[in-house]
Amino acid sequence: MLTRYKFLLTVTRNNYFLRQLSLESPNVFAKPESRCRTVEDNPLNHNLEHEGRFYVVPPAVCNQLFRFGGIPKGYEVQAKTFDETCLMIRKPALEVINMMKVADYSRPIVKYVLFGERGAGKSLTLAHILHYALNSGHLIIHVPWVPDWMKKCKDHTRSETREGFRDTPLDSAAWLAHFKTQNQHLLSQTDLTVTSNYTWSKREETRSGSPLVELVDLGINRIKYASNIIVALASEVKALSSSGRCKTLVAIDGFNCFYNKRTMIKDENWKIVPPFQLTVTEAFINLVNYNWTNGSVVLTADRLVWSGNERGESDLPLYQLGKEAFELLDPFIPVHVPCYSEKEFHSCMDYYMERSWIQNENGNTEEGRSELMYLSTMNPYQLMKICGPL
Amino acid sequence: MAHFPKYMTTVLCIPRYQKQLPYVMTSVYSQIARSEKQTEEFRVLELVKKSAQRSARRKAKKIELLPPRTNVMPVDQDWSSVWPGPRSFHPASVPLPLRQGYNKKGVSPGKFANAELMKIPNFLHLTPPAIKKHCEALKKFCTPWPEELNDENCEKHFPVEVITSDYCFSSPDIREPMARIVILKVKLSALTLDKHAKDKLLRLVGERYDPSTDILTLTTDRCPLKKQNYEYALYLLTALYHESQKTEPWESEKTVADMEYYDWEQNVSYKNVLGTLNWPQSVKDTENFKLTPEMEEYKKAISDLMNKGEDLYTISKYKEATKKLLNLPEFLPLEYTTA
Repeated sequence: MLTRYKFLLTVTRNNYFLRQLSLESPNVFAKPESRCRTVEDNPLNHNLEHEGRFYVVPPAVCNQLFRFGGIPKGYEVQAKTFDETCLMIRKPALEVINMMKVADYSRPIVKYVLFGERGAGKSLTLAHILHYALNSGHLIIHVPWVPDWMKKCKDHTRSETREGFRDTPLDSAAWLAHFKTQNQHLLSQTDLTVTSNYTWSKREETRSGSPLVELVDLGINRIKYASNIIVALASEVKALSSSGRCKTLVAIDGFNCFYNKRTMIKDENWKIVPPFQLTVTEAFINLVNYNWTNGSVVLTADRLVWSGNERGESDLPLYQLGKEAFELLDPFIPVHVPCYSEKEFHSCMDYYMERSWIQNENGNTEEGRSELMYLSTMNPYQLMKICGPL
Repeated sequence: MAHFPKYMTTVLCIPRYQKQLPYVMTSVYSQIARSEKQTEEFRVLELVKKSAQRSARRKAKKIELLPPRTNVMPVDQDWSSVWPGPRSFHPASVPLPLRQGYNKKGVSPGKFANAELMKIPNFLHLTPPAIKKHCEALKKFCTPWPEELNDENCEKHFPVEVITSDYCFSSPDIREPMARIVILKVKLSALTLDKHAKDKLLRLVGERYDPSTDILTLTTDRCPLKKQNYEYALYLLTALYHESQKTEPWESEKTVADMEYYDWEQNVSYKNVLGTLNWPQSVKDTENFKLTPEMEEYKKAISDLMNKGEDLYTISKYKEATKKLLNLPEFLPLEYTTA
C-alpha cells in the first residue's frame, strides 16, 4: 500500500495525471437503450423514468472522480471485469439529487445522511450523487472512506501547531491529491482564491488572494503541512461558498467513524489516539457545521466503521451516529437506502445476463432468479457475491 | 348303630369333633342311604361334582328405584323451585343430557353415577331468571338511583373509587385474608396539579399510573384489617399530592443529562434549528421564541424519535418534518421510506 502512495505522490508532483479530460466528449462506450440500461449518462437529467436502470459513467468522469477511491473495492473489480463502470439509478440518489436541485442555496447548507444495511448501496448512491455534483459544477469535497484514515493510517506525527493533536501527513497529502483530481476543472479558474493569510514556516506562507490550487499543491509537495492545509482548505471552501464563488458538495463516506472512541493510531506513549485528536477530523467536522451557505452535505452512517460487533444492532442513523454526531448534524434529512426492489433486482439480473456474467443455464430462468432473490435477500452486495461464481 | 363303620365311631369318640357332630351325622346318613341304593350297582366315584349339583348362586337383591324425576318434568316448569339453592349435582333432577369425564374406549360417561359431575361446583341455582327473582324480592328494600347522578356527575363529585371485596363461604373461620385488600382509584385530572407537580407525582407513583386511562391506582394490603388499609390508602393519596407540590432546592440543579425524557427546548437541536432558520442573525432570546407550525411538527417528530425510540416510522416522520422545516419539496411518497 505504501508503495502505491509513494507512486501517487510522485505522480502528483510531476503533474503527470493532470491532463485535461474533456467532459463533453461524446460517450463512445454507450450501449443501446434496453430494459436494464439507459443511454442517459448525465445525472442532471435522471428522473423516476430511469429508476432501476443502469447508466455508464463515462471513463473520463470515472477517472476524475473515482481514481483514488469512491467506488467500493468489490464493485470496482466487477466494473473492471465488465469493462465499464455502470451505476444503477436508484430512488435514494434521485431523491437527494432532486432536493439538491431545488434547495435554497442562500440558506445554510442542507445535510443528507444516507443509511441502510450493509451492502445496500450507500457508497454507490454517494458515487451517483458525486457524478451529479461534477456535472452541475459543484466543488467536490469527497472522503472515500473515513475508516481508512483511522484503521490503516500510513504515518502520523505530533502536531506542531495544535497541542495534543496528531497529524496524518501521508494520508492527508493523498487526500489533497484526490481533491485536486476531482476538482481539476474548477481549480484552474482564477476566482477561487484564498481569503486569509497562512504562515506555514519562515519561508513558506500562503497569502490571501493567491489561488486555491496553490494551497493544495503546497500540501501535496510539503506533506508536513498537509493536515493543517486540509483544515485551512475546509475553512477556505466554506468562505468561498458563502461568498458565492463556488457551490460545494461535501460527501463523506463513513462519517460516523469521526465519532468512534478509538483508532488504530497510537502515540509515543502507546496510548490510543481517539479520532477527535486527529487534525483532519476537525476540518471535516467544521465542514458539516451549518454556519455556511451555498453547499450541500451528503454523509453516510455505516455500521462497518465500527470494529467487531460494536453498534451492530441497527442501521438507523441515530444509533449509528450517536447522540453527539446527531446533535451536530441536526436538523438533517435521513435518506434510507433500502435493498433492491423486485424491479431493481430483475434489472440487475438483466444487466448480468447482458454482460454474460451468469453462465449457469438456470440463472436466467424464473426459478433460478427466485432462488437468487431468496439467497441474496435482495441485498445488492450479496447478490453480486452470489452471482460471481455462477 | 350296628351299621356304623368302625372309623366313624372313632371320630365320634374324639371330643374335639363333638361340636361338628350334626354335620358328621348327616354325612354318615347319606352314605348309608347311598350304600343301600347301590346294593345292585357299583358306586360311581365322582371326583368333580356335576354342575347341576352345585348349589345355585345367590341372586343379587334387586333394589327398587323410582324412575328419574326428569322424565316427568314439564318443559315450562319453574326451575328455581326445582333447584332453589347451591347443591351438588343430581342426575335425576337435572333434565340435561350432560356428560363429563374421559373414557378411553368410547364417549364420555353420562350423567348417572358420574362422580366427576358431582365434584365440580355448579351454578344451577343462579340462572338469570333466578337472579331476576332475587332482585325483584330485594327491590322493596332499595331506593331509586338519583337521576342527576349520571356517569359524568359521578366522576366529577366522586372522583375517588374504592374497591374492596367481601367473601362469603362456609368454613370454621369466617375471616378471609383477601378481604383486607383495598384498591383506590382516582383520575389524575381530578387533582389540581401543575406541570412540575404532575411530573413529580408520576415519578413517585411509577407504574401505578396508567397513561391510557389517566387513572392512578393505589392498592393497599399491608395492614391486617380492611379499615386500616382504607385509611392508609387515603393517607398515601394525601401524602403523594402534597409531596408533589413541593419543590426541593436541589431540583434546580437538574441538567439536560439528568432528564428522563427528551425536552426539545433544552437541547442542542433547538439551538441548531433556531440558528439555521434565522441565519445569518443569531437568536439571543431563545426563551420566548414563538414556534411556527413547521417547528411544532419538527419538535413533535424529534421528541418522538428520542423518547419512543428509533425505527423506520419515527425516522420517516423526522425526515418529513425536517423537509418542511427546511422548505424542501416532497419528492417521493412517504411509504417508500417506510417500506
